[in-house]
This record gives sequence, structure tokens and C-alpha cells, in this order.
Amino acid sequence: MLSRVALAATAAPSLKNAALLGPGVLQATRIFHTGQPSLAPLPPLPEYGGKVRLGLIPEEFFQFLYPKTGITGPYVLGTGLILYALSKEIYVITPETFSTISIVGLLVYVIKKYGASIGEFADKLNEQKIAQLEEVKQASIKQFQDAIDLEKAQQALVQKRHYLFDVQRNNIAMALEVTYRERLHRVYKEVKNRLDYHISVQDMMRRKEQEHMVNWVEKQVVRSISAQQEKETIAKCIADLKLLAKKAQVQPVL
Amino acid sequence: MALVIPVKEKKLMDVKLGELPSWILMRDFTPNGILGTFQRGYHRYYSEYINVKKGSISGISMVLAAYVLFSYCLSYKELKHERLRKYH
Repeated sequence: MLSRVALAATAAPSLKNAALLGPGVLQATRIFHTGQPSLAPLPPLPEYGGKVRLGLIPEEFFQFLYPKTGITGPYVLGTGLILYALSKEIYVITPETFSTISIVGLLVYVIKKYGASIGEFADKLNEQKIAQLEEVKQASIKQFQDAIDLEKAQQALVQKRHYLFDVQRNNIAMALEVTYRERLHRVYKEVKNRLDYHISVQDMMRRKEQEHMVNWVEKQVVRSISAQQEKETIAKCIADLKLLAKKAQVQPVL
Repeated sequence: MALVIPVKEKKLMDVKLGELPSWILMRDFTPNGILGTFQRGYHRYYSEYINVKKGSISGISMVLAAYVLFSYCLSYKELKHERLRKYH
């Protein structure tokens, strides 16, 4: 997050500098984000501030005077200055002086006694804040890692796609086979239907012809039997019957 | 790198005493320059004494002491009349 701000900060001046080249210069010389961003990651904060003696005078002053005056130099200088200011009344002793002395004494006492514990308390608060941010950062890193893993897994699935395609191909082939056979069966049925029709038509024709012929023959025969022939045949039949009756009478007696 | 660095680019600690006036005159007195001076000074103090992990009381106390001295200097004119002796 901070690196993005840093990137924006470094990108803006570099783009500005490139734009100062006249319009005639090829725009191909514009500088884009080619190098490493120099502000990210930010360097960590220093642990301790500059050392200060007596809470008021930085250590550099003591080091500055050390070669010429040794260790006691700055203290002697300080004492001398204070005495000079008092004696020449550059610093005037007023009633305020005493209140100043007591207040400063109280402050020094309080700071010496409770300074360390207050510092630790502040450090703990800081640590809590940092831990919260760290949590957020870790959570988002974990989220991204999970997303990356999911992507990788899905990409790996691409290698196994051919199984799916094989199954689909098999299914399609089976469906094709089934429709082919169905249609074959239908064709067979239809053809059989037509042939049966022709056969039944033929049968019917033959039957009709047979019946017609039989009827015609019967009619011819009936017509051909004249009246006289009929009488003769009837008389003959009666005579035969009488003979048969006689035979039949004879037989049961035996 | 030139062996003789012109006066303008030297830092204050490297300037010899005789060159001090010319060095002061060569500084950037435009409004931008003055703003830059204040910004640099503030950031130097801030990043060294305040913007650290374990800052001490000296970060604020130095500023307060400087303020005390400054206000004493401003009110010296009135304080002169409360001197205990006339001749020193």
C-alpha cells in the first residue's frame, strides 16, 4: 500500500522530467516504471533518537568541543555562561525565578521517576497498532496466496480436460449409434409394411378371384342341370335310397 | 570530483570563517528557497528526535527550552527595569 504511494511519488517526477524534453524529441524516451522503486520497502524507523545530555543539549555539541577542551569543557562553558549571565544581570532574578526553579525541579523529578514506565506504555500501544496492521497484511497475503493456489489448481485441471472430452466423445458416439439403429429399424419396419401391403393385396385378389370363380362355376352347374335331368336324378336317388333301406333292414337282424 | 569545491556548495561546517559573509550571501533567498530552508530544518529535527521508535523527552524539551529562551529575549526590554543593581 505504501509502496504504491511511493511508486506514484517517484513516477510523477520522472514523467515530469521526461516531458520537459521538447515536443520535437521522440516520445520514445519517456521513462516508465523500468527501474526498481527506490522508496519501497521503506527503511525502518531508527530505534533511538539522537543522544541528548541533560535533556537539553545534543551530544554533537559535546563531541564538537571534546578535541579542544576534553570532557569537562562543555560543562565549564555552561557554568561560565550561567555565572556571566547572573553577574551581569543578563538573567534578572525576579520572584518568577523561584517558581521557575520549583516547577523545573518538579518536572525533572516526575520525568526521572515515571519516564521509563510511560515510555513502555507508549511502546505497548504502538506494538498493538503495528500488530493489528500486521494482521491485516497477513490476512490479505493469505487471501492472495489462497487465490493463487486456487488458480494453480484450476490450471492443473486443464491438463485433465482430455478425460472429460473422452467421455463426451463416447456419449456422442453412443447417441449416434442409437439413432442410427433406431432409424435402421424404422426403415426395416416401413419396408416390411409396404411389402405386407402388397402381399395382402395379392391374397385378397386371389381370394376374390377364387370365390368369384367358384360362384360362377356353381351358377353354371346349377344352370346346366335342366328340369328333366333333375327329375331323373331325383328318381334315381329315391331308388337308391329304397335299396339302401332294404339293405339296412336286413343287416340289423343279423 | 573537483578538488576545490566552490564556496556555494560547501556545508556550513566546512565554510571557513573568512568566507562566511560570501557564503551567507550566496544562499537562496527566494521565497521557495526560504520555504525549503524551513522545511529542511524541520525535517532534520523531526526525523532525528521525534520520528523514532523510542523517543525521549528531549525531543520536546529542546523545543520548549528554545521557546523559553526566545521569549526571554523578547521580554528582556521590560525585565531590564527589575534589575537588582544598576551598575554591573
